[in-house]
Amino acid sequence: MQRLLAIAGLTWKAAFRFRLFVVIAVLLLGSVVGLPLLIKDDGTARGCTQILLTYTLSVITVLLGLSTLWLSCGLLARDIEECQIQVVAVKPVARWQIWLGKWLGIMALNAVMLALSGASVYGLLLWRAARLPAEEQKTLRREVLVARGSLKPPTFEREIEAETDRLLEERLKQGASGAVNLREVRREIREQVKARDQLVPPSAIRQWEIHLGLLKSSLRDQPLHLRIKFNAADKSPSGTFIGLWQVGAPRQTQLWRSQPMSLAPDTFHEFEIPPNLFDENGVLTISFANVNNTSLLFPLEDGIEVLYREGGFGLNFARGVGIIFCWMALLAALGLTAASFLSFPVAAFFSLGVLTVALSSGTLANVVSDRTIMGFNAETGVAGHSIADTVIVPAFSGILYVIHLATQTATIPEWFAKLLPAGVRESLSGALPSPARPFSPVDALSTGRSIAWTHLGLAFVQIVLLLGGIIGLIGTSIFNRRELATAQGTQ
Amino acid sequence: MNSRLKKFLLVALAAALLSGVAQVQNRMNRDREALGLTRVQPLENAPPVLAFTTVALGGFRGLISNLLWMRATELQDEDKFFEIVQLADWITKLEPHYTQVWSFEAWNMGWNISVKFKSYADRWRWLRRAIELLRDEALRYNPDDILLYRELAWIFQDKMGKNTDDASLYYKRQWAEEMQQIFQKKTPDFDELIHPRTDAAEARARLLREKFKLDPAFMKEVDERYGPLEWRLPEAHAIYWAALGTQIAKDNPTRVNQNDLITLRRVIYQSMLLSFQRGRLELSPLGFEFGPNLDIIPNVNDAYEQNFAEDDIYKGDIQKAHRNFLRQAVYFLYANDRLAEAAKWFRYLGEKYPDKRILDDDPNSLPGNLTLDQYAVTRVQEDVLDTSRDRMKAAIEGLLSNSYRSLIQDEDERAAGYKNLARKVYESYKSHTPQGRAEAMGLEPFEVIDKSVLNRLLDPDRGIPPEIRALLRTKLRLPAEPAPGKSEAAPAPAGTAK
Repeated sequence: MQRLLAIAGLTWKAAFRFRLFVVIAVLLLGSVVGLPLLIKDDGTARGCTQILLTYTLSVITVLLGLSTLWLSCGLLARDIEECQIQVVAVKPVARWQIWLGKWLGIMALNAVMLALSGASVYGLLLWRAARLPAEEQKTLRREVLVARGSLKPPTFEREIEAETDRLLEERLKQGASGAVNLREVRREIREQVKARDQLVPPSAIRQWEIHLGLLKSSLRDQPLHLRIKFNAADKSPSGTFIGLWQVGAPRQTQLWRSQPMSLAPDTFHEFEIPPNLFDENGVLTISFANVNNTSLLFPLEDGIEVLYREGGFGLNFARGVGIIFCWMALLAALGLTAASFLSFPVAAFFSLGVLTVALSSGTLANVVSDRTIMGFNAETGVAGHSIADTVIVPAFSGILYVIHLATQTATIPEWFAKLLPAGVRESLSGALPSPARPFSPVDALSTGRSIAWTHLGLAFVQIVLLLGGIIGLIGTSIFNRRELATAQGTQ
Repeated sequence: MNSRLKKFLLVALAAALLSGVAQVQNRMNRDREALGLTRVQPLENAPPVLAFTTVALGGFRGLISNLLWMRATELQDEDKFFEIVQLADWITKLEPHYTQVWSFEAWNMGWNISVKFKSYADRWRWLRRAIELLRDEALRYNPDDILLYRELAWIFQDKMGKNTDDASLYYKRQWAEEMQQIFQKKTPDFDELIHPRTDAAEARARLLREKFKLDPAFMKEVDERYGPLEWRLPEAHAIYWAALGTQIAKDNPTRVNQNDLITLRRVIYQSMLLSFQRGRLELSPLGFEFGPNLDIIPNVNDAYEQNFAEDDIYKGDIQKAHRNFLRQAVYFLYANDRLAEAAKWFRYLGEKYPDKRILDDDPNSLPGNLTLDQYAVTRVQEDVLDTSRDRMKAAIEGLLSNSYRSLIQDEDERAAGYKNLARKVYESYKSHTPQGRAEAMGLEPFEVIDKSVLNRLLDPDRGIPPEIRALLRTKLRLPAEPAPGKSEAAPAPAGTAK
């Protein structure tokens, strides 16, 4: 441990020698202080806080990410190029200890920078919030400066899948042509089955039940927020539809009825509902009356959601910064690994290249979902085809999976799940959230959503231990085999 | 030569050349504009940061603007609007002469984003932001672009003026409250705003010029040409900005697209129609009330006639709209007991469109086949099934006014009949108002409309003559009118007319 700490100490000294610490600290603090002066917000305290959080945390992530890559590439590569590593390597310290020591040093540096800039952002937000009128402060603390958990009605995934399979089988028995695209037909049937649970026809009332479970006692006397979203079958001249809501079960709980609400489709709306509207079993009943002339569709995934206060903003903010710290750990590992076998400029270029590929995951996702690199013509419904698809699509799929490990909670690939014993498969499925949840601290913090400890834990396991560990193993093993005393290009 | 002297001479030469080139640049800019050599005008009135950015980034501005645009679209798709103001600011600043960018951003804020919010206050904030973007910034950098005037006028006419948005009454109320700071009297005193003599008038004139970017001298001109207008209502501002656009088009005839000019003129006569239909604003304890502005009928008629004379492409459509306007004008005048004027416009309608029917459901209803009375009564019957809030309000007010006038003439039964009919029309409209749209389409309680009509009749300044007021008060068993200067609580209708 002492050896690791000694190498980490040397890393700190090098960072100060390069004046990197001072420059990055000034840039980070400058952006935190300067951005609020430059940014235009939408005129609300909520909007102002959201944009401040988004811009300052994004700038911190970008600045720190780039400096981490640069520092990790530079420290090791330049040590090798300038032969300083030869002095260290002859000491009684293993190569992996040198590598890990540098990583620890960079991460300690990152920890200090993140703590400094994070504390500045947090302090700035609280300072600005304290200067607002009491009513706005209340709104802010209710909707943004808070950690809110969420509950949704059951999505009946299993029942929908079973019903879809039954209907598909029925249609096949009825003699559907074998030439049809079965995957597409199944998707269509699935959507039809789902629509039954999502659709609210004109003049109809739909009811949802949300089970609060163990939370029912902690949510007593707490106002909740309803977050809703719907799609409309038709357009309305005003661009909005009328929504009438009732929360509570008749003759069992108190009832709350909304005034007619003017609601736009395809967008999220949030409104507060009074406390204690759930029954003794912790079931919250929500009803919607469609008084419009067109059908409205509430998506099963995010159509109805109840938000509740799970904790304070401070700890949530710290957890969000924790996820950013995990990303820095991965970048440090990537930079050190690149510098283990490449010169500084090439290592920096290589690391930035990898980062660019990771950031363009949208393009990769399109190729994987279209199953071709030739693109999909939405008008004709025809996908292109290339012989290269057989190699590129699985390769992209693999790269995308690795990128997703760093950006969202893991899912078990189907092919891998089949190889696992049933017990292991079930326990893994139980441990991982479904569907996958993104690691997006900036989004979560700016919308007042809770970043759970388990979420941060998963981020640490996936990003630092798994991805960082694998990259680190590759890096240390290359560094271990590298001939450090050969003539260097810069000599 | 001494190197220090050489450096000094070189610096002096550089300064002289820089100063010289600045002079040449100004002349070149003038020539460019005069000869129409480029579509990109030099940026004027821009703050230093913007001027520097547009020059320093050069062609890369478009690239950055595209990236920002993509981010804005992505965020909007995800319902994240808090960043849109900043992104719109950057995008428009990167392309300050690109009219479509300004008009798209304003339209996006005013129409697309505003309705995404369920709170009317939030919607108003976005609508105001759209107005500010065009009025305070787009026109600052592009003062001669008439499309921007049209876009600004369109926000007042369509988004604020019409009743399609559920929050439209809220918008009108907010705008009226803002304008109330300047136009405290019903009839604005433009001369006081043009040449303020008191500190209060000076403050109001400054507010008008600096915040709302309105020129009181031009407002006076607009009011004289198209008014009298109610400047607390959005239609007057739609007319103002459209009229300013046409004025600028006249000053720059070579740079004007004729189609843009036609749309500007259309905004004027369409807004005048709206002003006629509900361009009267009354303040009551319950808030704002709107009613028809019958005094601008001659000017609305002139605007229509001028427009179909100048617009060959849509002449037929404008004439159709003109005929509909005349039919409404006759009916509104009749319903408000301005029978002589109603008869005059009815005659005019017959002369102008003798072969066009004047009742929708009756093919034989040519102007020559119907009397004014027959036409008006049939229109009331049609209106009972109508769903236009403004036409309905005008009809009800007219019937109530007729009721009180009948009472004055000792025709109590007829008065009761009118009032009964007004109540039936009110109830019928109320039952046809869609559920949940009461705020946008609904009327004030019947008693409030009734009281407002009576107040207008009994108004010592603008109501009926004093001896007739006294008669009406007696019939309604109201106390005698207080002496001038003494205030009186609003009277409540009583007696037979109740």
